[in-house]
Amino acid sequence: MSRKQWFLIIFAGLAGAVIAFAPLPVRVTPPAQRTLRVEANQFAYSPAVLAVNPGDTVTIELVSTDVVHGLYVDGYGVSVTADPGQTTRLTFTADRSGSFRFRCNVTCGALHTFMIGKIQVGSNILLWRALGLTILASLVAIILFPRPAKAQAA
Amino acid sequence: MRRSEMLSRMLVIAGVLIVLLVPLAVRFYDGQGIVEIHGRMAETGGWSPSAIKAQVGVPLHLRLTSDDVMHGFAIGQSEMAAVDVPPGKMTELTLTFDKPGTYTYYCTRWCGLNHWRMRGTIEVTSDGLGAPQPVSPPLYVTLNLDIDAPHPAPVTPLERPSALRGAAFTALLPPSYLTTDYYRSYSPAQAFNDLRSDPALKSLNNAQLWDIVAFIWQSNTTPEGLAAGKQLFAQNCAACHGENGAGNGVFADKLAAAGEKSSEDMTGAKGMQMKKPVNFTDPANMLGASPALLLGKTIRGGMGTGMPMWGSIFTDEKTWNIIAYLYSFHFTEVTK
Repeated sequence: MSRKQWFLIIFAGLAGAVIAFAPLPVRVTPPAQRTLRVEANQFAYSPAVLAVNPGDTVTIELVSTDVVHGLYVDGYGVSVTADPGQTTRLTFTADRSGSFRFRCNVTCGALHTFMIGKIQVGSNILLWRALGLTILASLVAIILFPRPAKAQAA
Repeated sequence: MRRSEMLSRMLVIAGVLIVLLVPLAVRFYDGQGIVEIHGRMAETGGWSPSAIKAQVGVPLHLRLTSDDVMHGFAIGQSEMAAVDVPPGKMTELTLTFDKPGTYTYYCTRWCGLNHWRMRGTIEVTSDGLGAPQPVSPPLYVTLNLDIDAPHPAPVTPLERPSALRGAAFTALLPPSYLTTDYYRSYSPAQAFNDLRSDPALKSLNNAQLWDIVAFIWQSNTTPEGLAAGKQLFAQNCAACHGENGAGNGVFADKLAAAGEKSSEDMTGAKGMQMKKPVNFTDPANMLGASPALLLGKTIRGGMGTGMPMWGSIFTDEKTWNIIAYLYSFHFTEVTK
């Protein structure tokens, strides 16, 4: 490997470390109480995407409009179920930032497994970092490993 | 053939027979006396089977499962705790009946607009003695009330009556107003008119008389009864009538939409169709209804309006508790 290539690898490593670990200038919003009403029917949540700030105390009011539904938040491991006519509340502190799926945890019919929503706690920094690292890795790969000469015909 | 070969052949045959016969025997004996009931949403069939037979004193083994969504199972007119019937699981249940008669089993978890149509019957018979006990007609029948007639309240209070304020006038109040019979037979508006024309209460103003009405209604229930009524309302009524009784439950719009689509009845009248649920917080409607009238509406149901008939489900005590809770939308309770 040439000197130039070694230089590139070291430079890429440093750039990667910056992308992965550099503290971003994130706007810090003071934590607030948030009550979000989520209606559940076969087989969707409305709204299906919730956005909160990190540190918020989130109360999800689950209203079912047809059969018994549930709501389970991946990553937080908290859940609640609601019968039609009996609104239930789920309160938790959004102390982990990122994007988390929530899904129905009471079998509610044929498409039950596709009843999914998303709660976004702050901006999804992990996604952007991963995207940056992927682009960096592909650039390095393209420069380091140039297209091989055309294979000789056998 | 050699003796040892004969023996081994017989062993093989015996082994094959055992393998075949044991599962058959297990299947035959295991299924004895167990009734398997599948639950589906009422639109796709409800309970199947929906009629089963049992004997007095003989345990009835049930195996319950759901084919679609979460259902529940309970026996009407009994104190049996409801069991959940989730899909993909077998819920086993053993029931023993000590009286003959026809029992209703019903779904206890809301499973759509027609959830309440998901019912079935258990015919319990007994050999010899123990004929079904005669039942007395409900109060609305003995009072000869027309439970389908409109019942507007001729008078309504200007502000929310308070039972606590009304309790201050107990010394003036003739005791005949405080009986259960009086409470059940008259609407709050009628009671107000009775009090207004009572010479013993001449000195009181209208607001004070409404407070006394609230006190009469309050004195015919207990905090426990109200709490039980509130819970029953949440589980059985709130999906249509709304969690705060305003007639705006999650199924209210669907009921109204179904009503427009439902066809006329045989006489061409549009009267018997699915309707928007009643608003219990409207004093002009609620204060004109006596407990006996509400009892009739509850136990008989709305005859095509979408209101279920609860007579085979609730005990009288439960129905009275729900009715007491309905009036609490209008009267402030005594808080101790």
